[in-house]
Amino acid sequence: MGPVIVTDSLTKKYKAKAVVDQIDLRIPGGSIYGFLGPNGAGKSTTLKMLLGLVKPTEGQIQILGKEINSKNRLAILSETGSLIEAPAYYGHLSGKENLQIICTLKNVPEKEIQRVLHIVRMEEQQTKKVSQYSLGMKQRLGLAAALLGNPRILLLDEPTNGLDPAGIQEMRELICSLPASFGITVLISSHLLSEIDQMATHVGIINQGQLIFQDSLNVLHEHSRGRLYLHTSDDQAAFRQLKNSGIPAQWRDGRLSLRLMEDSRIMRAVALLVNSGIGILRLEQQQMSLEDIFLQLTGKQVSL
Amino acid sequence: MTEFLSPQVRAEHQKVKHTKALLVPLGFLGFYFLWTMWQISSMKPDEFRTGYTMLFYQLPVMNAILLPLMISVTASRICDMEVKGDTLKLLYTVQKPGSFFDCKYLNGFRYLVFFTFGQGLLILFFGSIKKFGGFRAGDFFLYLLTVLTVSAVILIIQQTLSLLSENQLFPLGIGIAGSFLGLFSMFFPAPVARFVLWGYYAVFSTVGMDWNKDTRIIHYYEIPFPTRKFILFLAFGIFIFLLCRIVFTKKEV
Repeated sequence: MGPVIVTDSLTKKYKAKAVVDQIDLRIPGGSIYGFLGPNGAGKSTTLKMLLGLVKPTEGQIQILGKEINSKNRLAILSETGSLIEAPAYYGHLSGKENLQIICTLKNVPEKEIQRVLHIVRMEEQQTKKVSQYSLGMKQRLGLAAALLGNPRILLLDEPTNGLDPAGIQEMRELICSLPASFGITVLISSHLLSEIDQMATHVGIINQGQLIFQDSLNVLHEHSRGRLYLHTSDDQAAFRQLKNSGIPAQWRDGRLSLRLMEDSRIMRAVALLVNSGIGILRLEQQQMSLEDIFLQLTGKQVSL
Repeated sequence: MTEFLSPQVRAEHQKVKHTKALLVPLGFLGFYFLWTMWQISSMKPDEFRTGYTMLFYQLPVMNAILLPLMISVTASRICDMEVKGDTLKLLYTVQKPGSFFDCKYLNGFRYLVFFTFGQGLLILFFGSIKKFGGFRAGDFFLYLLTVLTVSAVILIIQQTLSLLSENQLFPLGIGIAGSFLGLFSMFFPAPVARFVLWGYYAVFSTVGMDWNKDTRIIHYYEIPFPTRKFILFLAFGIFIFLLCRIVFTKKEV
C-alpha cells in the first residue's frame, strides 16, 4: 500500500525559530508508524499541523492522496481519528454521552458507540461520569472517540503518557490490533524508544525539528548490527593492510574495526593480517542497541 | 426534539446536559420576582396608575446591576467545560473554529432569550394582578428588545473571555466589575458613560424620573427612544462579535 500521509518540507516557525523544520514524512498505509523523538523535538506540533490545528509556516500535507487546505480539511479529516496530548472530555457527562457528542459532530449513527466501547473494553464504565474515570480510562475513551466513524488513519500523540504499566500494556495491545483488525494506519508519537520498538512497523525519528531517520523498524534494527573490533600487534599497519586489500575497515576512536560481514570474509581478513606478520590479539564483536542508535542519531539521552 | 437543528448546534445542547445552566437565569428571575413584590408592597394605591412606567424605569437600573453578573456566570458555565476538558483540539478536527464559536454563542443566547421572555412575563403578571396603568405595547416591546440586545453584546465579550481563560475567575471578575460600572455609569458625564457598555440597559430606557426634593414626589415621564443610538449600538455589537470571533479563531490550540 502507498503512503497515506505525505508531507513536503513541512515547517513551523515561531518567530524565527523553526520548531518543525522541512519535514518530509512518508507514512505507509496499513503501518504503525512510530514518530519518535525527545520531548520538545516537534512531534506534537507536526501532528497538530497534520490535523490543521496549527498552521504550517511552509510546506504541503497530503492525506489519503489529497492535498489538505482550509476548504477540504474537515472532509479529509472525517477519515481520520485523533488523540492529541491529554484526552479531551466533558467531565460532567458520562462516557457514552461524550461519545454521543462526537457522533453528532461526525454525523455518525449512535449505534457505533457500543462498537467502539467494545474495542476499548469500556462497556461497563459507559454510564459513569468521565470526571470519575482514571487517566487510563480517559485515554481509552479518547481512543474510542477517535475510532468513531471507522477512520482510515489514527493519529495518536503520546497515548500512553501518564498511564501505569498495566494501562500501557493494555493501550499497546489495543493499538497493535488496529491495523490487522480494522485496516487502520496508525501514526503514534512517543519519546519512549522501547514503546515504539514494541509497536511500530515503521519509524520516523525527529530531533530539534528535523527528521533524522525514516524507514521501517527492520532498517533501524539493521543499524544495530554490530561491529567487529580487532586488537592486533600493530593496529595502524593492520588498518593499512586491510584498506589496501579492499576490506572495509575503519579507524574509530583509536581502534580498528570492521563492519560485521560473512564469516568467510572475516576469515580472509584474519588470514591476510596473519600472513602479513601482524599478530591477532583479540577479536571482539560489539552489538549496538537501539538506544545507542537513537543516541547516535539525536545526540540526546532517550527515555527507556 | 433537537433533531431539526444543525449537528453542531445539537452538540452544544448535548454538552450542557446535567450542567443545570438554566438555573442561572431562573435564579435571577426568582430574584426579580421577589424584588418586584417588595417594590409593589411599598407602593401606595394611587401609584398603581403608573405601575408599568415605574417598572420600565426601575428594571433597567436593576438590569445594569444584575445582568452583567448573570451573563458572566452563564457564559462561564457553558464555556468552562471546553477549557477544563481541553476539548478544542478534538472539536477542531470535526468542526471549524468559527462555527464552534457561533454555535457556542447561539447556545448562550437562548438563555438570554429565556430570561428576557421570563422578565416580560413577570412584568405582565404583576401588571395584571395589581391592575397597573400606563401600559404601552411599544415601550414593552422596546424594553425587551433592548434588554436582549445589550445582554447579547455583553455575552460576546464574556464568552470570548471564558473560552480564552484557563481560570474562570477572570471573566467572572469582569462580570462583577461590569455590574458596578453599569450602575455608576448612570452618574458619569454623558461623554464618559457612552463608553460603558454595561450601562446601556439604562441608556435605552424610555422612561425618565423627576424627584422633587421638597414634596418628595416622584414623577415619571416619557423619553423618546434613542433610535440612532440603538442602531449605532447594534453596529458596535456586530463589530465586537466579529472582532472576538477573529481573536478566538486565530488562537492555535
